[in-house]
Amino acid sequence: MSTDTSATVTETKTWSGGRSPFNVSYGKLMMWIFLLSDAFTFSSLLIGYGAVRFSYPAPEALVEKIAPMSHLSDDFIEQMQEIGAFSEKHWPSPELVFNHFPFLHGVHLPLMFVSLMTFILIFSSVTMVLAVEAGHRMDKKKVGIYMFYTILGGLAFLGCQAWEWTQFITEGATLEHNPFGPAHFAALFFMVTGFHGFHVFSGVVFNIMIYVNARRGMYEKRGHYEMVEKVGLYWHFVDLVWVFVFTFFYLI
Amino acid sequence: MHSDNKSEYIPETYIPHVESNGTKEIWRTLIILSILTVVDIVLYFTMPPWGGFRNFTFIALGIVKAYYIVASFMHMKHEKIDLAACIIVPFLLVLGLVAGLLYEGNFWLTS
Repeated sequence: MSTDTSATVTETKTWSGGRSPFNVSYGKLMMWIFLLSDAFTFSSLLIGYGAVRFSYPAPEALVEKIAPMSHLSDDFIEQMQEIGAFSEKHWPSPELVFNHFPFLHGVHLPLMFVSLMTFILIFSSVTMVLAVEAGHRMDKKKVGIYMFYTILGGLAFLGCQAWEWTQFITEGATLEHNPFGPAHFAALFFMVTGFHGFHVFSGVVFNIMIYVNARRGMYEKRGHYEMVEKVGLYWHFVDLVWVFVFTFFYLI
Repeated sequence: MHSDNKSEYIPETYIPHVESNGTKEIWRTLIILSILTVVDIVLYFTMPPWGGFRNFTFIALGIVKAYYIVASFMHMKHEKIDLAACIIVPFLLVLGLVAGLLYEGNFWLTS
């Protein structure tokens, strides 16, 4: 009888105090709410991109398709401008803009480099969950190892992005002008990938802080590795945003 | 939570104890995300546009990937449904902005 009553009391009094209604810590709930607000920010950027994109005609299909792996001449952009594939009147086709790969100069490799960047970010997300899982087992050594791999993944992604920006800028893209199509194209590219890249950079800084703290045994002394989980949430969010940047900037 | 723990609850310091679920689910999610990304790239080169249907496919695949990242990597699947709803339902409001601004963009094109 007494157990029955206590069951109904806890059942009906979720919000009456004395317990965590969501059964999460204060910090984790705040991280979720921050990520919701950050998701709104990125949505605004991507939807703004969508609106501008819709205000230009879609790229025209090439009469003669350029096969992947084929030779990429140095005056490729001029050729594309001549046949009208790059024009201020319509949006450029991403496979003709993002077709370079480091160390493979002169080879047409559309979207291969961004696909590599996507995989780098997915893998660093995986090492992050592995660090969180090791934290649940209070395995200090494994948390350190997986956090280290996560940091490496983040730095690799930032390096790739720096290379891609350099390539893009070398080809003549600025915030006000670019040889591929409407000025909005490069401006939005710099804005959105830059905003995402800055999130990755912040994530790497957080990850380094967590790595150092974990290695110094701060979380072991504290009795739990919840900080790894909270920063992990942020890191996965960065990966999540990249999924949509990849879809909207490179695939569509 | 048991009533005898009630006095110990301090909102600012409360940390629920979490047990490890093992790594099996992590590897499964990695395989799913990798396959979906490869499918994206293959479709980009092989699928005809079919009047925007291809783009819908990319967005649908993106949403599936987002589901796996949020549900599995971010542990949303294992959180209470109340928390999941508090985060996901407000986010659905952006669909209104999507509809409105894409309509507006199309208007700029045609006017």
